[in-house]
Amino acid sequence: MHLTELRIRDFRNLGSQDLEIPPEGLALIGDNAQGKSNFLEAVYYLETFRSFRGASDERLVALREEMFRVVGRVATTDQDVRTVAVAYERRGKRKKVTVNGSELGRLGDALGSLAAVLFSPGDVALVSGGPAERRRFLDVVLSLNVPGYLKALQHFRHVLSQRNTALKDESPPDLVRVWDEGLVRWGTFVLLERRAWAEECCGAFRALYEAVAGDTQSASLRYAPGVPLEGRVSEQDVAAAYRQAIESSWERDVRSRSTIVGPHRDDLEVTLEGSGSGGPLDARGFGSGGQWRTAALALRLVEARTIRDRRGRSPLVLVDDVFAELDEGRSERALELLEREETGQVILTAPKASDVRFRGDVLPRWHIAAGRITA
Amino acid sequence: MSLIDQLAEDLARLPGIGPKTALRLVYHLMKGTPGDARRLAHSIRDLADRVHPCGRCGNFTEHDLCTVCADPRRDPAVICVVEEPYEVGAIERTGRYSGLYHVLGGRLSPLDGVGPEELNMTTLLEHVRGANGIVKEVIVATNPSVEGEATAVYLEGALRPLGPRVTRLARGIPVGSDLEFVDGSTLGEALLGRREM
Ligand SMILES: [Zn+2]
Repeated sequence: MHLTELRIRDFRNLGSQDLEIPPEGLALIGDNAQGKSNFLEAVYYLETFRSFRGASDERLVALREEMFRVVGRVATTDQDVRTVAVAYERRGKRKKVTVNGSELGRLGDALGSLAAVLFSPGDVALVSGGPAERRRFLDVVLSLNVPGYLKALQHFRHVLSQRNTALKDESPPDLVRVWDEGLVRWGTFVLLERRAWAEECCGAFRALYEAVAGDTQSASLRYAPGVPLEGRVSEQDVAAAYRQAIESSWERDVRSRSTIVGPHRDDLEVTLEGSGSGGPLDARGFGSGGQWRTAALALRLVEARTIRDRRGRSPLVLVDDVFAELDEGRSERALELLEREETGQVILTAPKASDVRFRGDVLPRWHIAAGRITA
Repeated sequence: MSLIDQLAEDLARLPGIGPKTALRLVYHLMKGTPGDARRLAHSIRDLADRVHPCGRCGNFTEHDLCTVCADPRRDPAVICVVEEPYEVGAIERTGRYSGLYHVLGGRLSPLDGVGPEELNMTTLLEHVRGANGIVKEVIVATNPSVEGEATAVYLEGALRPLGPRVTRLARGIPVGSDLEFVDGSTLGEALLGRREM
């Protein structure tokens, strides 16, 4: 999978640039606040059609400009090359996505065009932050890699907001309960896919964590649902458990005027195990900064594997500020891992050229200053 | 505001018509004969003055009862419940249905402030109750959307104690499509709704 060309118009401070991206990738070197992250943000925008930094589309448009545009030529194989283009207009708040020139009915149909995974310093919040951060991570990974997940998730959220509105309005019970079957129908799909992913990936997560940490520390990954799912395997069993959980939390739902139990409250638990620390500990409460960053990095590496396993493509790897926050040993081991894993193209950013030790220094060095990129 | 702008603005409030199309329609009317424009105006006025919901089923009609309700050949034992009046036409065009209709005028949606009182439901329940067992089946043909499903669940709960069979339209594979291109949830529904051969 690789990006062959990138055209940028008025995205943040990047002005108007047409770039030919080398097949192996590149290292973008520049001082802070010159636009390194903006560049990766533009590239990754083609994957999810939103800012990985959580910025509104409005804020991505350059000052005093009306719209931004990002166009990428993406080659899956030599035969299959497609052009993904996205434009956003400030006035009318209109976003238009086209693939090979034709507009899509739904944004979802073009999601994941790059098969990219992005490592950024902000990833530490995946481990140090609350369950909502990890649910978002799961939802993005699964939306991009599992057919039908995004649709199920959207339907689930829609039913949930209808039900919560009915609860808030203190509607009679039968008018709240009419939404239960919808929750079960779409929520069961979400639960099953999240659990299956966590089970499939926990071994890899542990191995990758240990490889980066490089000592006796370890970590594990587990999906922690509010619906008790022990021993519930089949779709019918899980649906039945969910239905029952909704039933038993009815009084609490009424009291709190919102739906208490379901995938919208679940967590993806990251647990640290290490020498000296005794038993396993919830990473959020007990980890050090270095352990959090290592666990977050392992999550992203697992995401890259998911792209390979589920979509059969080597992911385009984007690394913002090459693991700047990791200590030297860990960051070197992380880079070694990236080299060993079957990654495709790699685009990384760093403040100094000497920070880039990757693939025997074969990555072409590009430079950025005040948003201008020079090859 | 000029009359041209006024009409364009009114037209632009219609679904699927933007400001540009609206203006083009106005100029088109001006190019035609005054008779054409007047006829259109009369049709719209007659529509507003004379068309109203049918007293029994809620479909639009110019009379007390709509053509379906007034037709003695229709089977009063079966009622098909739809969300919107235009869906009656869709089912009529199949030529496969000879029962009566009931038009809800929407679907349950707390987010939009729509509860049972906002929908044409009471008349349906009263009709079924008052018909003393004549109504044998109610087909709930609300859309397979999140709201349509919840509305169906609600109707089922309200109708079941009154006696009739309550059925739901089968969901499944569109005629003429290949199995391999049907999405998983549609295929799953089709499997669940399979029938004896
Ligand atoms: Zn009628």
